Formats: sequence, C-alpha cells, structure tokens
Amino acid sequence: MFVEIFPKLVNLLASLAVGTAFLLIARRDLRGQVRLFAAQSFFVSILAGVIAVFARSAELFAVALGLALLKVFIIPAILNRAVSRIGLQRAVAPYLGAPAALFVSGVLVALAFYVMAPITASNPLPTADAVPVAFAGVLIGAFITVIRRRALTQILGFLMLENGIFLLALLATYGVPFIVEIGVFLDVLVAVLIMEVFIYRIKENFDSIEVGEMGRLKG
Amino acid sequence: MILATLLLIPALAAGSIALLRNRRLMETVHALAALATLGTGLTAAIRVWRGKTEIIALDHLLRADALSALMVTLVTLLGAIAAIYGLGYIRAEFDAEHTKQARMFFSLSQVFIFTMLLAVTTDNLGVMWVAIEATTLATVFLVNLHNTQNSLEAAYKYLILSSVGIALAFIGTVLMYYAGSAGSGEIAVNWTSLHAAASRLNPQVVRLAFVFILVGYGTKAGLAPMHTWLPDAHSEAPAPISALMSGVLLNVGLYALVRFKAVVDITLGSGYSSRLLMGIGLLSLAVASAFLLTQRNYKRMLAYSSVEHMGIICLGLGFGGYWGVFGALLHVINHALSKSLLFMLSGNILLKYRTTDIRRVRGLLRASPLTGGAFLAGTLALMGLPPFGPFISEFIIFRAGIESNAWVAVIGIALLVVVFAGMLASVNQMLYGEPPDKLERGDVLKWSMTPLAVNFVLLVALGLTLPSALTNALKQAIAVLGG
Repeated sequence: MFVEIFPKLVNLLASLAVGTAFLLIARRDLRGQVRLFAAQSFFVSILAGVIAVFARSAELFAVALGLALLKVFIIPAILNRAVSRIGLQRAVAPYLGAPAALFVSGVLVALAFYVMAPITASNPLPTADAVPVAFAGVLIGAFITVIRRRALTQILGFLMLENGIFLLALLATYGVPFIVEIGVFLDVLVAVLIMEVFIYRIKENFDSIEVGEMGRLKG
Repeated sequence: MILATLLLIPALAAGSIALLRNRRLMETVHALAALATLGTGLTAAIRVWRGKTEIIALDHLLRADALSALMVTLVTLLGAIAAIYGLGYIRAEFDAEHTKQARMFFSLSQVFIFTMLLAVTTDNLGVMWVAIEATTLATVFLVNLHNTQNSLEAAYKYLILSSVGIALAFIGTVLMYYAGSAGSGEIAVNWTSLHAAASRLNPQVVRLAFVFILVGYGTKAGLAPMHTWLPDAHSEAPAPISALMSGVLLNVGLYALVRFKAVVDITLGSGYSSRLLMGIGLLSLAVASAFLLTQRNYKRMLAYSSVEHMGIICLGLGFGGYWGVFGALLHVINHALSKSLLFMLSGNILLKYRTTDIRRVRGLLRASPLTGGAFLAGTLALMGLPPFGPFISEFIIFRAGIESNAWVAVIGIALLVVVFAGMLASVNQMLYGEPPDKLERGDVLKWSMTPLAVNFVLLVALGLTLPSALTNALKQAIAVLGG
C-alpha cells in the first residue's frame, strides 16, 4: 500500500513546496512572505520524513527533524525579528511585476524538466520523477533573488533556492551524507544571521531596505 | 595528525583572539599563529612532495596529495605575509577607539585561513563545498570592515551573488554524487572514490553536473560572466584581505573546479571540459580587458586584472596537455605572488593619498619611492614582462595553446595586448607627475613592507629559473589531475 502511493505522495509534497514559491512571487507583505517560506520548509521536512520512513533511514529522519527545527521555526523567527525591527516598509514595484514573473516561473518549470531529463531517465529510485520539480524550485528561488528589490525578499529567494537543492539531493539520492548535511545547515544558519545584520546595516545607511538604493559601484 | 594540527592552529587562534581585550596580545597571537600555520603547512607539503605520497587523517575526512600541497603552500605563505603586513596596516587604519574592528579583522582573518585550508585538504567533496561557502561567510564582514555605504553595497552583493553561485556548485556536487552512487552502488562523496569510479559514471549526468560545477565554483573563482561581485568586494576590502581574496581565494575556487575536471575528463575525455574552460577563459579575458581600458580606480583595476589572470589560467587548463596544465599551475603561483604584492601596496597608496581614484594619485614614485618602485615592478610582473615569473608561465601557456588551439591562443594574446595598454596607461598616471603639494614625502608602513620582499624575490627567481624542486612538485600535481 505505502509502496504504491509513495511516488504519488512524493510528487504531491514536492509540488506543494514549489507551489509556495509561486505564491511568494504574488505576495507583497513581508510577514506573509516569511510564512510562505516556513510553509515550504514544512512540506520539504515532511517529504524528508516520508522518504526516511520508506528508506528506513534513521539518519535521514534526524535530518528531517533538524530541517524542520531550523527552517520552519528558527530561521522564520530570525526573519520575523528583522521584519519587526525595520518596521513597516512601503511596498515598491519590483523590477518585474507579478503576472510577468509568474509567467517566467512557468517557463522555468518547463526548462527544469528539460534540463533534468537525463537524471529522471537514468534514476532507478521511485522518487526520481519529482527531481525536475525540485530543480524548478531552485530556479524560481534564484529568480526571486534577482527580480525583487527588497533585501529580505532576496534572502527568502535564496532560502527557497536552498530548499530546492535539499529537495533535489533528497529525491535524486535520498540525501547527502550526514556530516555534509550538518555542515550545510550550519552554513545556512550563519548565512541567515549575517544577512540579518546586513538588513539592519542597509536600513541604517540607506533608510530603506531597497537594494536598488545601492548602486554606486560600477565599472 | 599534521593536517589536523594545520587546521587547529588558525581555528584556535580565531577563537582566542575573539576573547582578547588587549590589542598587543591580539597582534601577537595573530602573527604567531600565521607563522606556525606556515611552518606546519610547509612541513606537510614537503612531506607529500618528498615522499611522493599523500597524507590521510581523521578517517579519510582529510587528505592531502601533491595538488593540495601546492594550495596549502600558497595559502599559508601568503597568509603569513598578509598577516605581518596587516599588523601595521590595521594599526594605521584603526586607532585605539576602534579595537572592535581590529579584533574582528584578526579573528575573521584566521577563520578565513581555516576555511581555505579545510577546502583544500578534505577528501569529502561535500565538506569541500561547505568550507568554500564558509570562505564567503568569513570574509563578508571583512569586506564591510570600514562600514561605509560603498563597502556595504560591495559586501551585500558579494554575499548574495556568491551564495547563489556556490549553491549551483552544490547541485553539481549532488549530481556527481548521484552519478557515483548509481554507478558503483556504494555511497561515498570522497574525491578518491569518485575518481576511482569515474570510468563507470553515466556520461550524460556527468556532463550536466560539470556545467553546474563550472558556473558554481567559477563564481568563486571570479570567472566572467559570474565575476560581477569581484571588483566591488576586492576593492572595498582592507588591503591585506584584498591580497588574500585575489591571491588565494580565487585559486581555491579554481582548485575545486580542477578536482572535478580530473573526474569528468576520465568519464568524458578531456575535450568536453577543455572547450568549456577555453570559452569561459576567453570571455573572462575579454570582459577584463574592456574594463581595464577605462579604469579610474586602482583597486578595481587590480581586481579586474584578477579576472583576466583567472581567464589565462583557464585557457592553460583548457589547452591541456602536460605543458598547458604545467603553465596553468605555475601561473597560479605567479599570479598569487604578484597580485597579493600589489594589493598590499595599494593599501600603502590608500593610506598615503586617501583616495582610490587613479586621477588623484600623482607622483607616486616621488612621494613614496619604495611603494612606487615596488608597485611599478609588481605591475610589470603582472603584465607579463620579463624578468618576472608571470612572463614564463604565460609563455608556456600560450606556446601550448599555439600547438593545440591556435586561434584561441591568438585571440587570447591579442586581448593581453589590450590589457597591457590599459594597465600601463593607468599606472603611468599614478607613478609620474608632481605629487599634491600638501602631501608629506616618504613611505607609510615602511617596516610592514618587509615581508613583501618575499613576493618580490620569488617573482624574480621564478622569472629567471625553474628550480627542479618546483618542477617535480608541479609534475606530481599534474599527475593527480591525470596529466
């Protein structure tokens, strides 16, 4: 029973995770955006848990728990703290409007299926069909980082990209070895803490968290 | 054991400096740790080269072969030189009221050295990725050390672009790891096991993986078109850090790239990676030459010149064959020596003139003869003129190129001429003419410049001879890469 529905469950959870990235593009308020990232991390951790049960891997289960703790609770808490400290931000038009951005994201999904074709074709794992979905998550995360002006949204884009990569590794190989995973978690946590400091410094120096305000370094 | 010690010294130094209050004590720990790291690093490297062997530690987590030994030598040597120079520089830049910045500088410099050493001495490709990502995290506050609007912009761009770029390298690593586990059935992300299984990997997956690796680690190596963070970060960082970022950190990115290239070449033959490397090398040269022609900021000039030299090294790797790779590795050494020298001297110029604008630096040779003379010599070396090392390595690379890919080599040489003209014009403006009236004559940081003599002597030595010890060491490193 579980073996039969397993690939479908994997596909569903992966799609839900990437779906939240689409929602983030449409959402303007920062708190809502942070909640969407937490939701995405939640789907990814559940997926990791499901695969851990299926593959009977205690290590992967521990990684799933770690992921949930870090990306559903700790990092959103850090980001919410930042949102409170910088106060209400006027919403400014992004470099690319939501309808156009959603369209590009759709194209990115198609691109992801094309690029990852050799992986799905050669991979014997039951989770392989969802690999392109994970890669789409990576691409959309990178895309958000590029088109959004607010530092915090860029950081969320980067974190979604990270989630996409975790998902990709999970689906293609049932995750990377434990020590590497721990190292990556540590890197991500430190990166978010550093980025938080930068949000404050940008706010202090430019009286806004519009990255577009910074543009003096050229040539 | 020696590898663990090598990593432990900078790690402990970083921790203890962070706890210190006394400035003198911080400086002492910083300098002594850098010298101890250098001693340990050289001992390990010589053991590897002499014994034609590799050192393995901590249950295969750490491993140093001849290629790692080369990198360890560069990191520890330039780390020590920058540390000694840094003592004077930081004293001049941050007075007693800015001890916090000084502490941050000393402590994070040690973390920076630690992460680079870990990246080049681990056998685990995942840990290597974690370490290289950590180099960004260690340096981002150093880029922003002066906390000006410009340095803030540079640091933020550096943080975001490098993080996104290096994330792509992780996808490449995962795909290689997947190719390895699917091919051999066993799960291992060690370079040695991947290298051993290389002939059985799925070629299509490996092809895809290498593109991610090239873009990802290429971002850290400052290759165009992923170089856009580099001129900002390298020019805003304090001089000793710029020296290490341009001189060694870029090479650590290249090192990761080359490790994967060794595996990919076994699976696919060398043609695939060669074409990609030549393409990206030429593009880097072209982009750098365009920006060097009209450059108004001397620190940015040096930064773009790093993009240029990374391009030249990629060309050497792409031309391939024994001499192509030999030239590339030799150029890694030569570029590291000359670029770190110039970036540290740029610190002297900045302290003297208080500007990074080329047009406002006049009469450098008259105002600070020692700095000016050394800057002139360093620039000539960097432009590939004899009797300095880069002349030899560029000659070897392009001779290999003429034999294997004549057109690529010819375009490369043409771009070098453009770079030459651009840099010469900029440096001429700085060196000659009348220094501003109110400027005091004399060199700043005279004594701090002493360790730079090492760069200078080595650059001349490498321009006049090729010691057999070096040739042997490079030969062993080439063997690691499958040449």
